[in-house]
Amino acid sequence: MLTTVAAGRVFDYSHCIGMYSQSGQGFWTPQDFVLGKDGRVYVLSRGVEQLGQRVSKINLDSEFQGQFGSFGGEEGRFIWPRSIDVDQDGRVYVSDEYTNRISVFDAEGAFRYHWGRYGDDDGLLSGPSGIAFDSNNNLWVVDSLNHRVQCFRQQGPFISKFGTQGSGDGELEMPWGLCIDNNQDIYVADWGNNRVQKFSPDGKLLVIFEGTSDGVGSLKGPSGVAVDSEGDVYVTDWGNHRVQIYDASGRFITTLVGDAQEPSPWTQTYIDANPEIIKARRRANMEPEWRFRRPVAVNVDANFRIIVLESARHRLQIYNKLKDYEEHSLNL
Amino acid sequence: MTLACTNPTMSHASQFRAQLCHSLIMSVARVKRDHGETSVPTRQEMVLMAHLMRRAGFGEPHADLIVHASKGYESVVEELLHPKDQPPIDEELMYRILPGYEGALGPPISQADWMFRMVNTQRPLEEKIALFWHQMFATSNSKVDNPPEIGRQIAMFREYGLGSYRDLLIELAKSPAMIFWLDNHGNHDGAINENWGRELLELFSLGVGNYTEDDIKEASRAFTGWTIAPKIPRNPLGRFYWNFEYKPEDHDNEEKTFLGNTGNLNGEDIMQIIVNQPASARFLARHLYRFFVADEPDVSSWNSTPPNDPEAIEVLVDAYNESQGDIRSILRVLFNSDFFKNSLYAKVKSPAELIVGTVRIAGNYEGFRPGFNNLALECAWQGQELLNPPSVEGWHTGAAWIDAGALMRRVNFAAGVMGDTSHPGVKTIINTVRMQETQSPQMLVSQCLDSMGPLQVSDITLKELLTHALKDGELMWDTPEQIEFSEERVARLLALIAASRDYQFA
Repeated sequence: MLTTVAAGRVFDYSHCIGMYSQSGQGFWTPQDFVLGKDGRVYVLSRGVEQLGQRVSKINLDSEFQGQFGSFGGEEGRFIWPRSIDVDQDGRVYVSDEYTNRISVFDAEGAFRYHWGRYGDDDGLLSGPSGIAFDSNNNLWVVDSLNHRVQCFRQQGPFISKFGTQGSGDGELEMPWGLCIDNNQDIYVADWGNNRVQKFSPDGKLLVIFEGTSDGVGSLKGPSGVAVDSEGDVYVTDWGNHRVQIYDASGRFITTLVGDAQEPSPWTQTYIDANPEIIKARRRANMEPEWRFRRPVAVNVDANFRIIVLESARHRLQIYNKLKDYEEHSLNL
Repeated sequence: MTLACTNPTMSHASQFRAQLCHSLIMSVARVKRDHGETSVPTRQEMVLMAHLMRRAGFGEPHADLIVHASKGYESVVEELLHPKDQPPIDEELMYRILPGYEGALGPPISQADWMFRMVNTQRPLEEKIALFWHQMFATSNSKVDNPPEIGRQIAMFREYGLGSYRDLLIELAKSPAMIFWLDNHGNHDGAINENWGRELLELFSLGVGNYTEDDIKEASRAFTGWTIAPKIPRNPLGRFYWNFEYKPEDHDNEEKTFLGNTGNLNGEDIMQIIVNQPASARFLARHLYRFFVADEPDVSSWNSTPPNDPEAIEVLVDAYNESQGDIRSILRVLFNSDFFKNSLYAKVKSPAELIVGTVRIAGNYEGFRPGFNNLALECAWQGQELLNPPSVEGWHTGAAWIDAGALMRRVNFAAGVMGDTSHPGVKTIINTVRMQETQSPQMLVSQCLDSMGPLQVSDITLKELLTHALKDGELMWDTPEQIEFSEERVARLLALIAASRDYQFA
């Protein structure tokens, strides 16, 4: 459905951006993105093996503005890049699960420094995954293989941590992405436990977002999470190829499954240049192309645009949470 | 320094074999004791277990072999034959860590996906039987141009490869990669394309001489309407699954006569008739013997060249008939047979066997890490590009794996891996050597051969290894310099063993 109406909310599909490419305009198995200043969007591609790792600079009008980073263990390069965020000064931070580093770049992509090293003591990292800044400009890092979340100052000094491995309330199993709301509470995609948990900054468990006993609102390997200013929570249900939406209390609202019926401008350009592909697309059932495939990260901007990143379709799908929607005549 | 010879009637090599045997038993005994077990596998049991694991899998590190040998041979055969009793590869975890492997766009990535599974599986026969069927039902990316789709065919081999031959053939006929590879999407009612029907009979089931041209035509008619649903192009948004589609309106519903059977036959009927043929049993038996037991001439000569061991083929044919073509039952007979147990080193390792077996011992590709595409590329450079066999006949095997270029690559690869002291498996072997009571060159050779097998080598190879080890005398571990030098000596000897002629055989 291009428009989904549920529990007093309206989610309306807008458009998509993206296509596969090993370099330049496009993404390759992207893992995360962040909304920067002045409409800039940074999209982090993980690539495959030794190819495709990079940060793409775009805007939501499909304008490609360049890229930085590449494969490698040297400074400013990535091996298994996983997550990206921007601090209050516009600097770009990228986590790398393989090198256990956080690399820092300026807004245009010039490498500044990196910090982080392997270990399980306080401040050390094992598979740093999701990252997000709080309003104090401190960076929260999902320390995935240590099954915890750690908080650092911008340049790396350790501040605090919470979480231990397990499946009980408040425990974590290979957590993946995270986000922080306006109250500075922290939402963690608890991948191995098929749920999202909301914590206070001191690690106190506040809410669990998961399916009911009859499966309503269930999650399978959630990867990313976002929260809007009204408290609605959006979870990329990576294993089920969908986005689950909950209210602030954890009550399930609805599901988005992907609606990219119109190709993105980049994709359309490619199609238009290939008559064989045009013919093939006219014969095929195209619905699988519309739908999410491995949705991996989600963000909501100040205009209530819900932006979903798909790893296996190398694409962003954008929805609007409408405020002034009027129901159409039901007897049309 | 020369090797001490305590019995003048024995050659150095023969004496050393006795020492090696003693050394192996003692190391096994230590492991067993540490695990609270009392029974100790004999040397023969260890040698046999290493043989089984090389053939039914890709070889194992020494410590794993000891654990297996202590369970008993027949018990391990049953374990291998029931792979689903062991944990699978966690695909969700794999695709989280290595997301590009899912729906991979380039050939090396799908090959890397399979390499990862072969190296890290706890179900070795599941991967080995998939490799067997990939050889027998060779489907190549050179035409299909969709590596993940061939990867789905490989996954089908994992699922069906140890079950009913009939069911497997039906799944094969429905495999979109196979349909495209052998043009069955162009096989229509009233306008047949014989490519699939011909190869099904010639290369996948009966063998030349066991059917007529009319049988090919009739089989092809029976498979009209077995096609692929229209596909979404892979670019520019990534791969989409291909799906089998049966189109009844394009199926020839007239009477057909195939191998003496008449009726309105469909594809399933053809497969049932095929698996009931004595020629199918014999054809499959020769394939299984050639892949799991001993090198044989290529399939193209089977019509005129009898098997090297006709009695073994008869045993496998009987197993086929008694089990009605149940692959698991046939392999149970094969692995427990004397002809299998007596076939040590009767096969040249395929590149996949050589590469996967080496890195499983060295431990340098255990778990998730970047670079499995390099293993896949190495396999291709050695002559076996997975998912891309050279033709529908598969690869030429046995001695055909070895030519001057390929041999150089095989030796360089294996020696390079085993000679690297940073690899976990190499470190384990170094520590095993260091723990020995004596630090003689003879012990060094025996421990290294044990750790890479136990590997039996020729007298010539053994003499060369001993000559090399004796040059630097006893190993010493007292100072950092001595430790470094001794570690290098162990690694160098492991590299020499990996570079030996003997290591080329499974």
